[in-house]
Amino acid sequence: MKTAMKTTLRLSLLASLIASTSAMAADKVTFQLDWLPGGDKAPVYVGIQQGFFADEDLEVKIASGRGSTDALTKMATGQSDIGSSDIGALMAARAQDDVPVVAVLPYFTQAPHAFFVLKNSGIKSITDLKGKKIATSPFTSSNAFLPLVLKQNGLTEDDIQLVKSDPGALSPMMITGNTDAIIAWVTNTALFKAQAEGAGKEIIEMPWSNSGLSLYSSSLLASERFLEERPDVAKRFIKAFAKSIEFSYQYPDKAGENLHKMVPEVDAEIVSAQLKSITNLVYNDVTKKDGFGNFTPARIQKTWEYVAEANGLTLDALDPSTVVNSKFVPE
Amino acid sequence: MNQTLPLKSWIQHQANRFAPALFFIGLVVLWELICQLGNVPNYILPSPSAIITAFFDVEFSRWMTHLWATLRVALMGFVLSICIALPLSIGMMRSELMNRILYPALIVIQSTPVVAVAPLIIVLLGTDDPSRVLITCLITFFPLVVSTTTGMLETPPEMIELSQSLRAPRYRETWQIRIPYAIPHIFSGLRVSITLAIIGAVVAEFVAAEEGLGYFIQFSTSFFKIPQAFAGLIFLSIISLLLFKSVQWIQVWLFPWSLPKKK
Repeated sequence: MKTAMKTTLRLSLLASLIASTSAMAADKVTFQLDWLPGGDKAPVYVGIQQGFFADEDLEVKIASGRGSTDALTKMATGQSDIGSSDIGALMAARAQDDVPVVAVLPYFTQAPHAFFVLKNSGIKSITDLKGKKIATSPFTSSNAFLPLVLKQNGLTEDDIQLVKSDPGALSPMMITGNTDAIIAWVTNTALFKAQAEGAGKEIIEMPWSNSGLSLYSSSLLASERFLEERPDVAKRFIKAFAKSIEFSYQYPDKAGENLHKMVPEVDAEIVSAQLKSITNLVYNDVTKKDGFGNFTPARIQKTWEYVAEANGLTLDALDPSTVVNSKFVPE
Repeated sequence: MNQTLPLKSWIQHQANRFAPALFFIGLVVLWELICQLGNVPNYILPSPSAIITAFFDVEFSRWMTHLWATLRVALMGFVLSICIALPLSIGMMRSELMNRILYPALIVIQSTPVVAVAPLIIVLLGTDDPSRVLITCLITFFPLVVSTTTGMLETPPEMIELSQSLRAPRYRETWQIRIPYAIPHIFSGLRVSITLAIIGAVVAEFVAAEEGLGYFIQFSTSFFKIPQAFAGLIFLSIISLLLFKSVQWIQVWLFPWSLPKKK
């Protein structure tokens, strides 16, 4: 009897040990951001803090990036498994080289590019920019789309005076009158507004998506090797990530707190303001029509046509449907 | 005798003694005044008071995390470059052939802008410490090689002749004559390298990092927190200055005889 007790005890100990080691051995995933932590990058932090990844038995490590192509390179070389980056950058890269990365989930279904002007500048529409000085940052993906959006508004690049400057200097340049307009992502709107308020000025954004440039932008991309070798992990990750996106935009204040907890340098209020100001990039007419999380072939084709034109590529350089892998979309 | 005279000379003496500090304080006061009176907004040139406020707004433990990340990479890169530079210089000093083979290669490495190569190194070695240490090492080791080799070659020929006539083995010639003669040169190389080590670590952090003072500065500008970026920058220069001084203290402590004689 005593020995039986002992055996049961030992067996249960062993069982709990196995259980605990399997809990410890959660699947590790390295997530690649395409820029430094900020409001639009909140979902992955939210997923960790809210336990969405832990629920799927995933342990997620976040690596910051320095632009879309940097993020792509890191996913292609296997330093990261999955991450957020511009699908346009992926299309351009795949059209020119055999980059083993595919898009698995749309995030921004509208382009985040925009012009910003001061309210008292008298500039009301893109056509008013004729003859004006416009500042942009050297490496932003917006630059490639600029000729297209100008063309759609009856302008050419010769009609404007384009200068390039450090991203951090753009809004101060405009506030001090060194430039009439700037080009930046609408993810910056909350920051720019706060900065302009400090100088007693008001800023207006003119999103390019309102002026005909309607395409997929920031998306969840994954390395092909990750999808092939660990399809189950990928599936669980994407499910948890979709949940994280939903949560972040539903509770932007909580998302801000979550991000601040992991990256104390970021203010929770700024994150929540950023999230609120870009909700329409994630939830809009496109997502209403197609459903959240679905790439449609028609819009992928349209996106590729814009990307090809913007990068000077021929349309047959890429079959855009090969850029997407929809097998992992959560049900 | 007039009592005011010694007092006057005392003031003069003290003013002279604290001249660098007074100059620095004057500069900061002037900076603050320009910002306050000229109403210069913080995002163009933050005032010293705004920078100090920004400095204390960041938790002390965060500063330490970033400081440790940068310092760790800088010192590892620095030590690695000493480990590479010293044997390399001895080899190049001893063998004419090695000198002819290696020198052009070293110049090529030195004249390649590391900022441009850094992203490639990250792709090759990953985003962790090894790639950052290598980037730091690439920036720091050249001045060390040059100064060490120069130092060893400038040993008085009489000393070498004497050692040869006494049939001293070559390792003794190197260790007991050439290296001691090269110590002042080595230390001037070390002083240049240690400040470059910080630059190297920051360059590496600009390309890929999740913490560190370089990352912190980049991060602050991305959120348009210019006073905070300045605070990081000033913290970084203070660290650089302290490291530079530490190399000097080490020289005073270990090799007091190698210092130039005071007049």
